[in-house]
Amino acid sequence: MATRSIVILVIIAAIALAVPPFLPRSVVDLLVFSCIYSIAGLGVGLLLGQCGIANLGQSVFYALGAYATAYMTVTLGVGAAWGFLTGVILSGLIALVIGWPVLRLTGHFLALATLALGIVANALFYEWDWLTHGSLGFGGIPKLNIFGLVIDTPLRFYYLAGAVLALCLLASANLIGSRTGLMLRAMRDAPEAAKSLGINAQWLRTRIFILSAIFGSIAGSLFAHYGSFVNVQSFGIEKAIAFLIIPVLGGATSLPGVVIGALFTTLVPEMLTRFGDLHQVLFGLTLMATVVLMPSGLMGGLASLSRYMTARGRA
Amino acid sequence: MSAPLLSLENVGHAFGGFTVLREVALDVPKGEIVGLIGPNGSGKTTLFNIISGYVRHRSGRIVYDGVEMRNQTIQQRSYAGMVRTFQTPMVFEKMTVLENVMVGCNKITSSGMVEGLLSLPRARKEAKAMREQAEMYCEKFSLSSVAHQLAHNLSAGQRRILEIARAVVGKPNLLLLDEPSSGLNPDEIDELDRSIRALNDAGLTILLVSHDMDLMSVARRVHVLYFGRIIASGSMEEIQANPEVREAYFGS
Repeated sequence: MATRSIVILVIIAAIALAVPPFLPRSVVDLLVFSCIYSIAGLGVGLLLGQCGIANLGQSVFYALGAYATAYMTVTLGVGAAWGFLTGVILSGLIALVIGWPVLRLTGHFLALATLALGIVANALFYEWDWLTHGSLGFGGIPKLNIFGLVIDTPLRFYYLAGAVLALCLLASANLIGSRTGLMLRAMRDAPEAAKSLGINAQWLRTRIFILSAIFGSIAGSLFAHYGSFVNVQSFGIEKAIAFLIIPVLGGATSLPGVVIGALFTTLVPEMLTRFGDLHQVLFGLTLMATVVLMPSGLMGGLASLSRYMTARGRA
Repeated sequence: MSAPLLSLENVGHAFGGFTVLREVALDVPKGEIVGLIGPNGSGKTTLFNIISGYVRHRSGRIVYDGVEMRNQTIQQRSYAGMVRTFQTPMVFEKMTVLENVMVGCNKITSSGMVEGLLSLPRARKEAKAMREQAEMYCEKFSLSSVAHQLAHNLSAGQRRILEIARAVVGKPNLLLLDEPSSGLNPDEIDELDRSIRALNDAGLTILLVSHDMDLMSVARRVHVLYFGRIIASGSMEEIQANPEVREAYFGS
């Protein structure tokens, strides 16, 4: 079983590395966004799948990363690393300060609290235009330069974002298999029993919230460098909802599911644009059909399909 | 007899204006099994919740291992060596039986989130040690055959056993068992009886709340709770012979 997973992983990695150079630029562009959204969605997925927390505030940390990068590289004119670092530190601190009180809540109340966070932050991004340049936005964010290699084509950026995503996935897989991962799932399944075994639920949840925010911020910084322009419209509630849809669609407990969810939310709308104005309605319907038909997400659906095929093969 | 591991002194509690416990006093000596019986609504579960920290008592003192527990959280009490099971077993449904028991190792391990993310040596070593320890306890409690099944699929009896295995894998000093035999078939009760005696032989102190008179025979000393008050204490034979207890509890 383990060998089979490794073989599948190697095949997927080979495809992800070898195929994009032969794809049209517009498709590579979508793949870049899939990688970026996967990183942000991964944070939301860890909260949802491992802690049972629905987070509708990920757009805030995505925005923090993007603005930190814009401010550091354009306004202050320092290196890109400072943008990433500032975003990560700011997001971590804000997640700590907000998470500590808010994560006492459970269920719908917590989801609403994160939604409120998203709405309030978006309003602040509009208001503080001395910092964010409001709806006019920040232009001229420089291309990334890694040891002399300028990341100035979608294909190059795809490899960079893909590598960052792979590292984030690897770290998440490590975490899920570790002591902390076990405690998270215990807390998700039976919080009262977890307490009796000495698990400090609130602090544990806060730490995962911080981790999730850091993933969001990294994704935001990448987005800023890729588009070289950010404005407040990129960080609305729709973005927060999209980041939640990604793990829900893919299967919240599954790490590959997050990537599949992100591919779905970037590629499917694009494929539907040929239907003109109808495409948003069609996307909504596709989304509903997927969720209704595969309640445990696309990965869950794939797993049932493979079980069905094996059962038929034996019969 | 040495100092008691757990000592309740005049513990009282009320929900709103309704008094559920009055001046309850009892000792749990180190290394013994102490039983607590009483009809439904007598306050057993409240007392249990108070001892384990789920409910904060209104008056009196709870001294555990020489420390007053009033302001200690559930987690602090757990780290001090107190661990409980629940009247309705609370297993981690979407985790395997083995993983459930691994969670019980929480207190004897300490690697954090960053170590886990980076898979640093200590995190890997601890994950391996937890697995080995859990496998050993699954074996000990006859759960090996279901170790890789989701806890969700277990029978009521297996859930009780799993809860106990998960509780004791973390090397507690005091095990609080809340109605451990309810929902079990006679064979499973025999198994439970043996497990409790074996744990006690290995030095674990146990406070047992139960309706089950047969199971109560494992306890050297039994207290009877009736409408929030302890009306009798003694060995099971003494309790059964006590006229006040017969009147209140057995209804004869």
